[in-house]
Parts: sequence; C-alpha cells; structure tokens
Amino acid sequence: MRGDGRVALVTGLPGGIGGASVEALGAAGWAVAPRTDRERELSVDLTHSNDVTELVGLVLGRLGRLDLVVSCPAAFALAPVDVHSVDDWWRVIDANLGGSFRLARATAPHLLTTGGSLVFVSSEWALTGWAGATAYCASMAGLVGLTKALARELAPHVRVNAVAPGIVDSPQLAVDAESAGLSEDEIKRQYAETAPLRRIAAPAEIAATILFLASDDASYYTGQVLSPNGGRTRA
Amino acid sequence: MTSPANALHDPQVAPSAQKAVALVTGASSGIGLATARRFAAAGYRVAVNHVDQEAVAEAVAAEIGGRAYWTDVSDPVAVATMVDDIEGELGPIAVAVCNAGIYEERSLAELEDEIWERTIRVHLGGCFHVAREVVPRMRSRGSGSIVTVSSEMAIVGGTKATHYIAAKTAIVGFTRALAREVAPTIRVNALAPGPVDTPLLQERFKVPAYTDTLPLRRIGRPEEIADVILVLAETAWCTGAVWSLNGGVVIQ
Repeated sequence: MRGDGRVALVTGLPGGIGGASVEALGAAGWAVAPRTDRERELSVDLTHSNDVTELVGLVLGRLGRLDLVVSCPAAFALAPVDVHSVDDWWRVIDANLGGSFRLARATAPHLLTTGGSLVFVSSEWALTGWAGATAYCASMAGLVGLTKALARELAPHVRVNAVAPGIVDSPQLAVDAESAGLSEDEIKRQYAETAPLRRIAAPAEIAATILFLASDDASYYTGQVLSPNGGRTRA
Repeated sequence: MTSPANALHDPQVAPSAQKAVALVTGASSGIGLATARRFAAAGYRVAVNHVDQEAVAEAVAAEIGGRAYWTDVSDPVAVATMVDDIEGELGPIAVAVCNAGIYEERSLAELEDEIWERTIRVHLGGCFHVAREVVPRMRSRGSGSIVTVSSEMAIVGGTKATHYIAAKTAIVGFTRALAREVAPTIRVNALAPGPVDTPLLQERFKVPAYTDTLPLRRIGRPEEIADVILVLAETAWCTGAVWSLNGGVVIQ
C-alpha cells in the first residue's frame, strides 16, 4: 500500500472524502500536492480548462511528477426536474462531470509517463438514482462512464477506477440538509436507516478504498467501480 | 395496425389506445426515424423532431401523418417552445422518446472543450430539457412515459469516445433519478442499444471484420431498436430500467 514518494493530486472539499484521502495517502507515504500556493489558498475552477492546466503545471513544477489523480467533485443540488433552474442544473453537471473530464485530460499525459492511475469519486446515487437529484445522479453516472471509457483508452499504462460511496459523514450533508429543509442530525438519521449497516460512513472508510485502488495491491483493477455503501446496493 | 405491445398489458393504460401523441427527438435518421415510423404504425400521432433536416423530416411527417419540428434539443428555451407547439398542434404528449444524439470520434488528447460541451448538451440536455417540459404536463394529466436512449458503450466503455460515453452514462443516472422522482404517475426507462446500422455508426463497424466478432454476427437494424422502444414505452410495470439490446455485444 506504500506510496514510496509517488505524487498524488486530490481535488475536493477539505473535511470530506477528498480531505480524508489526502490524510490517508500522506500516511501511506504518498507525496500529496498541497492545497496552498505560497500561503495563498489555491483557487482553481475545474470548469475552466486554463485553471486546470495551471494547477497541473504547478504540481509538476513543485513535485516533478504525477502518479495519481483522485477527482472528488462536490457540486450538489436537490430540486424536482421541472422546478430546478436550468443554469443550476447545468452547474452541477459542469462542475462534477466537466471538471473531472478536464482534470483527466490535463493529467493523462503525465500519468502515461509514470504509469500512474486515476480514481473518480462517484456516488451510489449514480446507480440507484434519487428523487430530486437528477443533475447530481446524472453527473455521478457520467463519472462511471469516464471511468469505463478512460480505462480502455489509457490502458495498459494507466489504470482508471471509481468508487461509488454510500452516504458519508461530510460537509456535503449540511448542503443536503439545507436543500431538503431538514436539520443535519435529522438527515443523518434518515440516511443511516437506509443502509443495512445502519449507519453512514466515515470519510476515512471511503478514503481506504481510494487508497487501495491507488496502490500496487490493486494493480489488476481497471474500469471498476467499488461500492463502499454499507450494503445499500448489492450488485 | 395492432401493436404487438398491446398483448403485454392492460389496454386501459396503453397510450396507443387513444391515438395519443409521441414526441421522438432526432427523428430524421437512424433509430429516431425508425421509432417515429414504429409509433405511427402503432397508432400514435408523432412529433418528428430534427435539426437542419427539414426536407427529410417533412417527408417523414407526411408519410406517417405526423408533424415535423426543427428544434435543437440542447437549447432549453427552444425545447419549451417546441413542446408548447406540439401540445397545441397535435395534442397532449403521452410518450417522449429522447433519442437525439451526435457523435464525433476523438481521443482524450484531441477532445476539445467545444466537442465535449456540445456532446453533453445534445445527449444529456436533450433528455433534461425535454423532461422538464413534459413532466409537469404529464403529471397534471395523471400519466406519461419517457424513454431515453443510452448506449451499450455506457455499460462496457470504449475508446476515442470519452465524451459520448460520459453523456450516455449520465443519461442512465438521469433516468434512474427521474424514474424515482416522477413515479408512480410517469414511467421513465432507458434503452442501451449496441451497434446499429445508422449514419452515426462508423463504417468500420459495418464490415465483416467487425460484425463476425459479434455473437449474432451482425449489427442491429434501426427497426429492431424501434420495436423495443415502443414496448418499453408501453410496458406499464417497468420504470427506472435499462434495457440492453445489442446482439450479444454485452454479455456480462
């Protein structure tokens, strides 16, 4: 499972799956690209190709190589399809799916050089759907498509896999709760009841799956979707 | 003409029983064209959506007693106008088949922003923009059926088609979410066809060097897909499903 100084780039919100992945990778000996640039928080909009190119250039300039990319997009919205504003619906698609595409396109040449791998963080909702989440579910299912397409296209040099987590205790839940008009505790309780394991996941439990997919232990995995979801799907 | 689908369910809930209206997007060629003809043969009045194919679409509409609508489904405002026009001119839409698609082969390195955007907007936007217009209408009428057209590549992947596969997979996620959201009034299902003899399919998939590798030794005919889209649209106990029809390309 050791990183042995290999370089990882992780996107996503601190505190969520992205943040837990940074910790897990760091603890396992990966050099994780920092989120700050000379004291300044890196402000990268992944929907802008130039920003993505700049980010990748910064990582390569500082760390010299790139071996792993974990794309962990976090745009979310809950609204019925006929009520949701068109612009906000597309904001979710463009951030989650378009941003992940741009990240993959910008990093693939470097991953081909190092024989690295890509991990897309999708969601179980890509597979199960969720009422009021057509944009989010479409974007997350699209990540499964990116995984399957790029696993073939970048083979045999780069492995591409995805995780489709169930409900995770993360800052995302505050957004869910607000969208649903519930307290954070109430939405956590409701979500916990839907999983056979009767609880939501800790971010570290998802990060463990990501760390596995990134590691040499997963050297024969590509184009796969692993589903740490407390038993909510069983396919 | 009697629809073979009628044998599968209670005619009371079959939209085809009352000369209902079906909207088929991307209906000037390929699977969409065959679907427009199939629904007309089953007794529907068909809205033949197309972009920039006026002569063909008008001829098809005349042939099947429908009406042609020139609308880019990637444009939500234009789709709203089209749905208004269809309901005013043909009547309430009972079935919407979101089929419109484009395809340009590109490796990841060659995949420019414009092609990515356009592909996602036409395929996924074609589903979202149509759904957001027909869902409230269908809900107020107490019934409706939406069929989206995905692809076998959404299940097994492929090369030089990242944009297309992302769009077709996103359609599956959209279909599953919408199916939960609008049940039990409206049903939403997806079809994932394998390689079919349409203008979108590259020539190298139409020759024996490829077709001989397929379990059924041939690519599909658009009419075969259209038959299943009609059944899928009318099967009353089916929602949130992805029907896979591919001559054996996907056996897993």
